[in-house]
Amino acid sequence: MLLSAQNVSKEFGNLRAVAGADLSIDEGEIIGLIGPNGAGKSTFFNCLAGDTLPTTGKIMFDGVDVTTAPPETHARLGIGRTFQVPATFEDMTILDNVMVGAFLRHPHRADARDHALKVLDLVGLKDRQEMRARSLGTPGRKRLEIARVLATGPRLMLLDEALAGLTPAELQQAIALVRKIHETGVTLVIVEHIMEVIMTLARRVIVFNQGHVIAQGEPQQVVKDEAVIEAYLGRGHRNWRKRG
Amino acid sequence: MKGTIALGLVFLAYPFVLSNAFYLDIGVALLLAAISASAWNIVGGYAGQVSVGHCMFFGVGAYLPLLVYQHWQLPPIVGVPVGIAISLVLAILVGMPTFRLTGHYFSMATIAVAELIRLVVSTWDFAGAAIGLQGPAVGRGWYDLTFRGELPYYFIFLAVLAILLFVTWQVQRSRFGYYLRAIKAGERAARSLGVPVRRTKLYALMLSAAFTSVAGSLYAIKTGFIDPDSGFGILVSVQMVIIAALGGAGTLYGPLVGAIILIPLQTATNTWFGGGGTGLTYILYGGIIVVLARFEPGGLHEMWHRIAPRFMRGRDAA
Repeated sequence: MLLSAQNVSKEFGNLRAVAGADLSIDEGEIIGLIGPNGAGKSTFFNCLAGDTLPTTGKIMFDGVDVTTAPPETHARLGIGRTFQVPATFEDMTILDNVMVGAFLRHPHRADARDHALKVLDLVGLKDRQEMRARSLGTPGRKRLEIARVLATGPRLMLLDEALAGLTPAELQQAIALVRKIHETGVTLVIVEHIMEVIMTLARRVIVFNQGHVIAQGEPQQVVKDEAVIEAYLGRGHRNWRKRG
Repeated sequence: MKGTIALGLVFLAYPFVLSNAFYLDIGVALLLAAISASAWNIVGGYAGQVSVGHCMFFGVGAYLPLLVYQHWQLPPIVGVPVGIAISLVLAILVGMPTFRLTGHYFSMATIAVAELIRLVVSTWDFAGAAIGLQGPAVGRGWYDLTFRGELPYYFIFLAVLAILLFVTWQVQRSRFGYYLRAIKAGERAARSLGVPVRRTKLYALMLSAAFTSVAGSLYAIKTGFIDPDSGFGILVSVQMVIIAALGGAGTLYGPLVGAIILIPLQTATNTWFGGGGTGLTYILYGGIIVVLARFEPGGLHEMWHRIAPRFMRGRDAA
């Protein structure tokens, strides 16, 4: 098992954002994390990435307890993440952005540069390497974020709505990119609202609602789950169906 | 590279072309301001950790040479490494707790510590209290870096500036430099990429403190006098920030460009208005802050990068 989270909860004052969630991820999986807005998936995601300290629970990565470890330790161990709102280094060039990630495993400048260029080639940004990050649009920034994380040499990548806000054509390209990354041996956890992405990419889906995991399994099976439908559409959906 | 060589030649030729004592004095003041601002730039410009209390390192560096001279009759230069060592300890004491916090706590802490030191020194007899300390009455020679004329100081300051710029250039190209810029752009994202944020900021502060301390020592050795206001006064720190911001904080030559503009301007206003213009420096600094904040937060460096392509296109079209 690559990562396991047991009984993870997170409270902000009286608000319980995550309430005893469990998750186990095997090497090579692609997992979709879905749920309606405010379900607690982003908070849980941040706990996995080391950005948020869980109130209770235990998170193990490859046999190492990372529950209270800071994000930089997560990166060093091989957990990479992207942000919902791309957090690219705006005034730095695209190549420099990726080199920051590459320096984690390649301390020498020339090596880091070579590695960063390879990653840029993979994500299709090599021809724009000298441009500043701020000159990129949303799809470009999302690609750059993915490239930056890839440059750190992750074993597990956490993608937080990395494919949101793309046009249908851009979405297909992004899905192809995620597949390519997975083929290189990286395990993926994807938080996404776009069902097309989840249905196409994920082998296993975990559904969050009100801080709990309410369902998990194969995508086709999960979308038919009554609890999942209720979480998205509310209890009134049965009456609406009958009326229809 | 060509630009760097040309700039170096201009600075080497300056004291021979403008050998008048007045211009030489401006040259020395300009180099000292460039050293201080370039030292500040490592932590304030590259890492984006705006210290408004850098005078604490400048003051420590300035006091130590004159302290060792006055109390133990040692050559002032002996105090330089001691000043660096104390500045490094100060940097650790200020940086360790404040870099754990986010936001403006670091800036606030630096102001508080600097002001505290100024108040302590102002009442501490050992450090000359409010009157300050004096160095050797006449220049003695190379062995303790005290001279009668300004010219040797000019070249010593120029050499220190060249070393500092070379170190900064190396930093800029290294992993450390990339990490500093990443921290400035976004700490959260930097940490997620494995950047050891607190440690990197602390190293930057220590490097910056060491060079600022050297700048303080050079000032005291050259002037032969130091008091709490000229060593630990808030204006000393503000000048470093303004000069770096004016030229372009976080760039190699930004602080030097800022000094080239501000120091002659400051000297000119002081000369024109004499004693009647005591508060004019503050007005000048305030005006520069307003103009930069409103029109060009990236300083002249950023402005040049914006207009240079247009200028080049215009020239090509012609």
